[in-house]
Parts: sequence; structure tokens; C-alpha cells
Amino acid sequence: MTQIQERGSTHVYKVNKISKEEMESMVARCVYEHPPFCSAACPLKLDARAFLEAAAAGNFKKALQLYEKITPFPLILAMGCEAPCEKKCRLAEIGDGVAIRRVEEAAARCGAARRLGGVFRSRKRKSAAIFGSGLFVLFLAGELEKKAYPTTVFCEEPDLEAFLRRGTDFLDESAFETELKRLKGKDIQFEFSCALTRELLEEKRGAFDVLCASNEVAARLYPESVCIPELMIREDVKLVSDLGGGVMEAAFGAKKAALTVDRLAQNLDPRNTRGQEGAVESRLYTDLSAADKLSRVPMAGARYTPEEAAAEAGRCIQCRCEECLKSCAFLKHYKKHPGLLSKEIYNNTQIIMGDHQLNKPMNSCSLCGQCTVVCPNGFDMARVCRLARQNMVSTDKMPLAPHEFALLDMLFSNGDAFLARPQPGFETCRYVFFPGCQASAIAPETVKAAWLDLCERLEGGVALMLGCCGAIGDWAGREEMAEQTKAFLDRELAKLGDPVVIAGCPSCRKELAGHEGLKIVGIWDVLLEIGLPEGGQGLSRPAAMHDSCGARGDEKTRSAIREIAKRLGCELADTPYSGDRSPCCGYGGLAAYANREVAAEMTEKCLERSDAPYISYCMACRDRFARQGRESRHILELVYGTDAGAPPDISEKRYNRLTLKNELLHELWGEEPREMKLDYELNYTPEARRMMDERMILTDDVIAVLDEVRKTGECIFDEESGLFIARKRVGNATFWLKFSREGDARYLVHRAWSHRMTVVKREG
Amino acid sequence: MAEKNYYTIDPEGKLRCMKCGVKLVKGKAKFLYLDNGFPVELPVCPVCGFVYVPEELALGKVASVERALEDK
Repeated sequence: MTQIQERGSTHVYKVNKISKEEMESMVARCVYEHPPFCSAACPLKLDARAFLEAAAAGNFKKALQLYEKITPFPLILAMGCEAPCEKKCRLAEIGDGVAIRRVEEAAARCGAARRLGGVFRSRKRKSAAIFGSGLFVLFLAGELEKKAYPTTVFCEEPDLEAFLRRGTDFLDESAFETELKRLKGKDIQFEFSCALTRELLEEKRGAFDVLCASNEVAARLYPESVCIPELMIREDVKLVSDLGGGVMEAAFGAKKAALTVDRLAQNLDPRNTRGQEGAVESRLYTDLSAADKLSRVPMAGARYTPEEAAAEAGRCIQCRCEECLKSCAFLKHYKKHPGLLSKEIYNNTQIIMGDHQLNKPMNSCSLCGQCTVVCPNGFDMARVCRLARQNMVSTDKMPLAPHEFALLDMLFSNGDAFLARPQPGFETCRYVFFPGCQASAIAPETVKAAWLDLCERLEGGVALMLGCCGAIGDWAGREEMAEQTKAFLDRELAKLGDPVVIAGCPSCRKELAGHEGLKIVGIWDVLLEIGLPEGGQGLSRPAAMHDSCGARGDEKTRSAIREIAKRLGCELADTPYSGDRSPCCGYGGLAAYANREVAAEMTEKCLERSDAPYISYCMACRDRFARQGRESRHILELVYGTDAGAPPDISEKRYNRLTLKNELLHELWGEEPREMKLDYELNYTPEARRMMDERMILTDDVIAVLDEVRKTGECIFDEESGLFIARKRVGNATFWLKFSREGDARYLVHRAWSHRMTVVKREG
Repeated sequence: MAEKNYYTIDPEGKLRCMKCGVKLVKGKAKFLYLDNGFPVELPVCPVCGFVYVPEELALGKVASVERALEDK
């Protein structure tokens, strides 16, 4: 029997490196983690998206907490900031950008102020002194207090109020009072009415670890010194200071200066480990099509009330690039954007010892390429998953179990069920019809009708090749098997005179296009050229056209199918995600074998687009939709007036292929059909049949067990159920049956199960 | 030292080997998979050594250990 070698051991200690650079370049295409444009434009890096979300929900406490992360004095910043975020708001392109600054002001006025650790808050051992007054000194004192440095401000002003007045004349009285209260609540020491002289500064060098000063003071006392703008330090005089400017410059300057103080306090070079400071570029993609609130919420008074601010915040469209997550059931299932999932899958391939937890996700992608089309940057998840599968196979770490059934099916298609014959009366042919394995399995009558029609109407002979194109090996990441299949098909095609292949399936067409020198067309192209045969008929009510993922990037095929449907009189209803953006039915990439749950979600994603009957041009799609109870027809069924009926189970799919082959061999080439009858009667309870389909147990496996019982007599009798139990190891699995029997002539199978482990009796 | 068994099933005299005509007994057996072994006690024919793996065990514990080993 046909068998695939199981991997020998879990103890394989090698990895085959996928180039990290290649992986990183693939991952970099995903912009999900890029900041929204408002945040990217903010030098202080406000998480504006989360801030507006909280404000829109009326949660100003949370909104203010988020705002306080970027500034110790929120009202001063909100009222004095130039709001670069608003200029970059995507809504500004089609209407008014969100008035973020006004919402910030409302949050700062009505949100509860954040309280830090209080009296129990620990303070750092190193201390800082700041000389002068104004916005930079105020913000820097606040930033250092946040970092828990004991900080003392030396200023000329006589009291705290006079100190806060400097540079804050844009505050109204109530805002001033709020910020004064906030300043009083901070753990900052003040020395008022100081004469800020060079002597004072030099004297304090011994008492404090780091000295800072306003630009005004620093420039006056050390006119020869130069401030480095990236670090906010006058290195020659070891004085942290700023360069002057408005509210934004002071707030951002204070942030940079605080980081410099941090580094200096630890005796580290302030140039290193600073991270990314200031505004950044973002490549985030935003879908603006659903944006509807394009005008700013008007203010009844001088500023937003909390209600108005919440309404204005509610206009934010929460920029996120989730185009692929919206359309792909696989990504949606794992709730991960492709950049992150790809990184995890990459890491999975690099594990030498331990669990490969991403095996299942990596085998659950349908490799359909939809993400690449819907992604604004063309992210190719299929490539990532295919490479990862190939990588795991090449290091002998890929489990066989998820793909074994499909791979055996491919070997069956190109073994027992394979047929390659020239049209009777020809030695070699100009054409060969290649319907694809699923067509022969699901709609054998349609395959037969199509081929006979082509034979009749095409000059030069049409050979028939019933087999698998090799996509299954390719999808499983088994390059060796895919190559063997390719070579096998090339040999068989050569025997037929290297004819032009007429593919019946777009996925086969795609797969076979990889054969060097092979000429290939779709049957849809041929039918449009020679005209549709008599007897075809479209559906009587409007239907949805499901585009096959095999036809992605192939507008010509999609148009040809629509033209055929039109000629048949079909009325096609539009669906979202059709054409190039069509989702996979769940068969692609062997998703249905590796992860039934995800595959079922893929099918559901296809079907939720329309309530109409579905017309498809891939037999696997036709089958999966029909299994969900949807009226589902393949375009060739309509062309040839055939009806494949209810979807076959896994055993019937094999039986159909064998029967088609035998029938054709007998009818067309006059060969005696191979005996497929058993010399005993074999029946199944409905439950047994259901569990066999679910557990991927074939009637061939059942027959193997019963043949073994009949040969060796090995079976046990279960007194409780009154049934016999037998087993047989077939390939990499042991199959078990519970059955009743009437002597050796009649068997009724009640239950069937299998396991992959072997079990042996142990001595001792 | 007591020998470790990952799983034990006693047939309690309800299973009979049709080939040997004797009742299955609780016997020592071993599961093997991908170069890993697990000692168990299962219904075994004392004559021919037929080891019975019930459906619940195959689809339960055995299947979950298979999955875990496959991902190693």
C-alpha cells in the first residue's frame, strides 16, 4: 500500500535558518503597529487614539491619565500647544480634523488629577537644581519630580504664584488656579528671591548632582557656552538647559532635558540609549470610506463643555489598519495582525528544543493570497506560511499528521485513480483535458461530459488525464513530493505528445503553469472560443459568483467565467469581497485538514456575503458550500446540464474517482473493469458512517481491518456491547472497528476509531 | 520502587480473545510514538498478546499526547 514515511523522532536538534533579513523585510510591510498620524506628529507622543476613545466615552479621568503621561502640567500644555496632531488628522483631508487640543483642554479641566505615591513615594538619591523660571523650568521640574529626583528650583521670583506667572499669561484665572494647585501638590523645593549669579551656580555644584538652568539664565551667566539641541545640555559648563521657544518647545525640551539628567545622574553618556525622540513618520493605512462626521462640534461658549468634548472626540475614526483582519477568517481567528503572526511563525521555525506552538496556525493559512491583495502594502502571509512549512519539513520537525490524509489522497489520485490516455483513435493528442482531482471526486459525470464534448468538437484529439496537479504537496511544504509529482506528470504528458493542457480548475492551472514549456489554457477559454454546447442552463434565480482563489490576479479567467454564466442566462448578484479580493472556501492550503475550525470559519466568511445560491468554478469551493447546506453549483455543471448532487463523503470521493476511471476504461477503451466488489457484504450504521467522515477513516481502512480478521481470526468479543472488536495497522495509523457479523458473509460496522501511536505488549 | 504506569484499564473479564478463546486480562503494554515510549496497563490477551486500545482512550489521552509530541 501507499505510505508516507513518518518522521523518525522528536529528538531532532537542528534548524534550517530562514534569513532573518528576509523575514524582517516581509514583516516590515505590515503597518498595523505604526502610530496613528496624530500621535506620530506629536513630539511628546500622546496616545491620541486612546485619549480620544476615553474622552468619547465620557471617561475624562482615564483621558487625563493618558494625557498626564506626556506632561506634568496638562492644562498649560493643552492651552499653549500648537497642536501638530490636528494638522495630521486624516479627517482633515476630507473635512475638519478632530479638535484634539480643545478636547485635551476639556479633559484637563474636568478630569481628576493624578496622584503619585504621596508621602510613601521613594525618592532617588541623586538630586538636581534648576536655576531660573519660565515654562522650561516649570516643565523640567515637573518631569524630574515624576522621575523622583529630589529637585530644587532657585528663582528670582518672590513666591510660587509669581514663579508660575512667568510664560503662562495665556491661562485664564481658573486655569491658573488649577495649575497652581497642581504645582503645589508636587514634591518640588523652591528657593525664592535668589540672585542668580555664576557664583551661586558654582557654589551649588557641590550640593547637587546635576545642575539645570533656563536658557535665559544659562546664556546670561555663560555667554560663551553652546546648547546641544538634541541633548539640551551645555557640555562645556555641564549645565542642562534649553534653547527658548514656545509652550511646545519648552515641554519637549524639558522631556529631552529630563532624560539627559537621568543619564548624567547615573554617570552615563547622555548621547546613548535615548530611544526615538520627537515626532516620527507613520505609514499607517486608514480607510476613510466609513467616516461620516466630518464637521467639528461647535462650541456654545469659549471652550468645550465635557459633553461637547466627548462628542468631538467621538468623531475620531480610531485609525487602525485592519484591512486583512476584516477580510481573512484565519487572521481573525488568531486575532493577530500579520506582522506579529509572521514574527511568531518565524520564531517557531527556529526552535531547536521545545514545543512548536505555532505549528497549527502556520498550517491553518489557506495560502490563498487574499491578504496580499487587500493589504495596502501587499503583505504576503501565504509566502510566510509556505516558507515556514517548507522549513519545518526540511529539518524533519514538521508533523505528518495534519497533512497525511491529503498527501495520501494526492498519491491515490496519481496512483490507483490515475488515468492518462489519448482520445481513442489517436496515439498522441493536440490537447489533454485535466479536470483536477476534486472534479473527478465530486462531479465525475460532469468531468465525463466535458471531456466527451471536447473530444467531439476539438481537432487533433483530446487526451484525458485524471490526477492531482501537485498542489497538495506544494501546500504541505513538501517540496520533494511536489517535485516528484511534477516530474511524474511531465513524463505522462510527454507520452501523450506534450499536448496543450486544458485545465478544469484554476488552482491546477496555476500549479501546472510552473512546468517548464507547458502550454496551458482553462476550459472556460476553450468553451468561449468554440461556443457553449447544447443543453446548458443557468440557475432560475439570481446567484452569487464565488471567485476561486486560484484565479487571484487572473482577471481574464474571472471575466471568462462571468461571460459563460451570462451566456447560460444566469443573473449574478454582486457580493462584497468578490473578484481579486475573494476569500478562500477553506480547502486551500490544506487548511481544512490542519484546522477544521478555521476552515469552517473561512467557508462561513464566503457564505455570509450573500443569501443567494453560489456559482463557483473550483470544485472544492462547490463542495464546501454544499456541505454547509447552500445551493452550490460548479459552472461546468451548468454548462453540461449535470448535477453532482449532495456532496460526497471522504470515501465516496475516492470511490467516485476509481469508478470514473474504470467506467471510462471500459466504455472508451474496451478494457475489463477492475473488480471492486468484496466477497462479503459490508454495511455501516449511520453513526459509523458519520464518525468515519469526521475521523478521516476510509472504507478502505475498514476493509483492511476486516480482511485482517478474516485472514488471522484476530479479534475480541465485548460482552457488554455484544460486538466484536478488531484492528489493523495501516501506514502510520492503527484503525479499530466495533462490528457485528453474521458468520463470514455479512458485517455491520458500528464504530470506528484510530490512533497514530503503536502499542505493544511489554514483558516483565 | 513502584513501576510507573501512565494509564490503567482493567477489562474485568468482559473481553474475550476470539482467536485464543481466553479472557483478556490487565497486562503490561507500551505506547510508542516518534521515538518516545509510555508504559501503560491495558486489556491484553495472555496467549497471543493482542492489546486493546478502547475508543475513549484513543480519542482522549492518546490523541492529546500524540498532538503534544507532534509539536515537539
